[in-house]
Amino acid sequence: MQHNVAVSVDRISKSYGSFRAVDNLSFEIYKGEIFAMLGPNGSGKTTTIRMILDILRPDTGRIDVLGGPINEEKKNRIGYLPEERGMYRNVQVIEMMVYLGQLKGMSTHDARQRSLELLKRLELDDAAHKKVSELSKGMQQKVQFAITVLHRPELIIVDEPFSGLDPVNTLVIKELLLDFRRNGGAIVMSTHQMQQVEELADRLLMISRGQQKLYGPVDQIRREFAQHAIIVEGEGRWDTLPGVAQVDMHENGKKEAVLYLSPDATPDSVLAAIATTKGMSIQRFELAVPSLNDIFIQVVEGHDHA
Amino acid sequence: MHKAMLVARREFLHNVRRPAFLFASFGAPILIIALLAIIMTVAIQAETDTTRVGTVGYVDLSGVLAQAIEKPEAFQPYPDEASARAALEAQEIGAYFVVPEDYLESGEVMLYSFDDAPEALEDEMDDFLVSNLGAQIANEDVLERLRSPIDLAVQTLDSGRVIPESAAPALFILPFIFVFIVMMASQLAGGYLMSGVVDEKSNRIMEILITSVTPFQLLLGKMVGLGALGLLQVVVWLVLGVIGLSLANALDMLTGIVIPTDLAIIGIVYFLLSYVLYASFAASAGAVIGSEQESRQVAGFFGFLSMVPVIFIFNFMTDPNGTIPVVLTLIPVTAPTAVMLRLGFGSVPQWQLVVSMALLVLMTLVVVWASARVFRWSLLLYGKRPTPREIWRAIRSAPRMAVTAQEIAR
Repeated sequence: MQHNVAVSVDRISKSYGSFRAVDNLSFEIYKGEIFAMLGPNGSGKTTTIRMILDILRPDTGRIDVLGGPINEEKKNRIGYLPEERGMYRNVQVIEMMVYLGQLKGMSTHDARQRSLELLKRLELDDAAHKKVSELSKGMQQKVQFAITVLHRPELIIVDEPFSGLDPVNTLVIKELLLDFRRNGGAIVMSTHQMQQVEELADRLLMISRGQQKLYGPVDQIRREFAQHAIIVEGEGRWDTLPGVAQVDMHENGKKEAVLYLSPDATPDSVLAAIATTKGMSIQRFELAVPSLNDIFIQVVEGHDHA
Repeated sequence: MHKAMLVARREFLHNVRRPAFLFASFGAPILIIALLAIIMTVAIQAETDTTRVGTVGYVDLSGVLAQAIEKPEAFQPYPDEASARAALEAQEIGAYFVVPEDYLESGEVMLYSFDDAPEALEDEMDDFLVSNLGAQIANEDVLERLRSPIDLAVQTLDSGRVIPESAAPALFILPFIFVFIVMMASQLAGGYLMSGVVDEKSNRIMEILITSVTPFQLLLGKMVGLGALGLLQVVVWLVLGVIGLSLANALDMLTGIVIPTDLAIIGIVYFLLSYVLYASFAASAGAVIGSEQESRQVAGFFGFLSMVPVIFIFNFMTDPNGTIPVVLTLIPVTAPTAVMLRLGFGSVPQWQLVVSMALLVLMTLVVVWASARVFRWSLLLYGKRPTPREIWRAIRSAPRMAVTAQEIAR
């Protein structure tokens, strides 16, 4: 196994009765990357995450975490932010954090120091001695995130890390995630917020009905989906160009259009055609890279890309 | 097992501060003791206080009391019934009694009073008569034996245990105290365990916990921590009980009590086993059912089962070695209560003790093992309630879901 692989998943499957929740999935997660796991609700994301965490065991296949099969010692090197947030209600924030830190193998002193540091960084200094139930939802969310990274894990698995956060707090968490990546940590992020994936994730895995649909670097996947459309801004009758199958004019007053290309055409050939056609001028010419949102919908609805 | 100890410590420290625990430990017993003290004081006052009757007249037609040896100060002789009746009606005396001519043959004595006479008055009359009758006996030892004819020591031949009379009240009371303590302590600790599990499951912190510790460590930690809490509760109750008795000037009630060592040891072993049995059952009930109220009912039924021997208390008192007591001794769920009751009223043949304890240990091991599996399996079940069949499958299922031997070793 390569030394920069944090998690290696090899042909795992898991069924609940006759329902196949995860079907022959294989992928790798590297150290120092943000790895997005995408998929509609019920597609098997949580089951996959739980198998990585050893809460569930796969029926078949093999999972290596941090250089081998998971064991109790390795659980101390993993942080988990579950989608359904969980915290004790009637307990002081600092007390709960120290306890959970200890369960991850930290000393009492270290757990306390580090908790206070993190709370300070999250601008929650005052919250340390408050009860969890006295905190606002956003504050609880941040405390929960602090618990996830409290024990300086090498791998964190975060499920919907930004749900319920305002823009300011979203930024705070985002910076913590980027920090974590900079320091060589591996991040698995499961989310439905596609623009966060576009912005943060290095690679992604998209699954539907337990099966792999897309897997690879985010940029590359977007480019793959982009091959047959271009965005142009300028003057001219685009629909007369050779190789253009369909034109969508954008109604934003900027004379922007999306040109859908016929199968035999390439962006290069269209650009050449524009250059040689009279009465046409362009200010902008770029590949129409679809949003992950579009790709997601397209993939989930079953349209295979070429 | 370091993590299990962390869980144990946390459970203990967290729950020991809970208002519910503080009330159960201190508030409730103090209230009960105060209430009992008031009732006892009033009742004892009524039965032992002869001063409220005032002077008590007596008419001796038999001549037995002619010398009036050791006459209580409040007793006042009258020559005939008519003068005594007149004194009573004039309220000079509160009551009078008549010792008839044929007293020596019949033993009959009549007491006349407008109100109810306290029991202590009868004792005083008794003592007065015995003292005067005793004057006719020359040998003082014989007189003493007449006053207190038996100091009984019972030797039960099958167990070889000698039960001195002074320990009898303790033997009679101890089984009840034991049953009470076992039930209260295990139910309280088991209840905390269950509500803790339900709480951690419903607020989803369970997902974080089981990525840090194994379900077995979690279960073990909770059982140890809350078991210690249960023991603390017992100690607090006992200490408060002693304080309560000393406040009531009734400490001498305890002086005759010698807790037989064998009874104490057997009691502690049964207490621990029944706690582990109950707690592991409560934990998996909480994890499977996921609602505190409903799991409490299920666990309550289990608690009721262990109290079944108390229903048959009459059989235990009259025939401790009869069929029902023996059967209840051998059934693991009822064994702790049954054995303690039987030890109080008689003795338990050794083979029964051995078999009963062996069965209890066996059942405890099986329940702990099955609970650990069900516990692990149900921790992440949300929404739907599993059927008994699914639970059965989880108990039997392959190591995929189960606690492995490797985990236990860690």
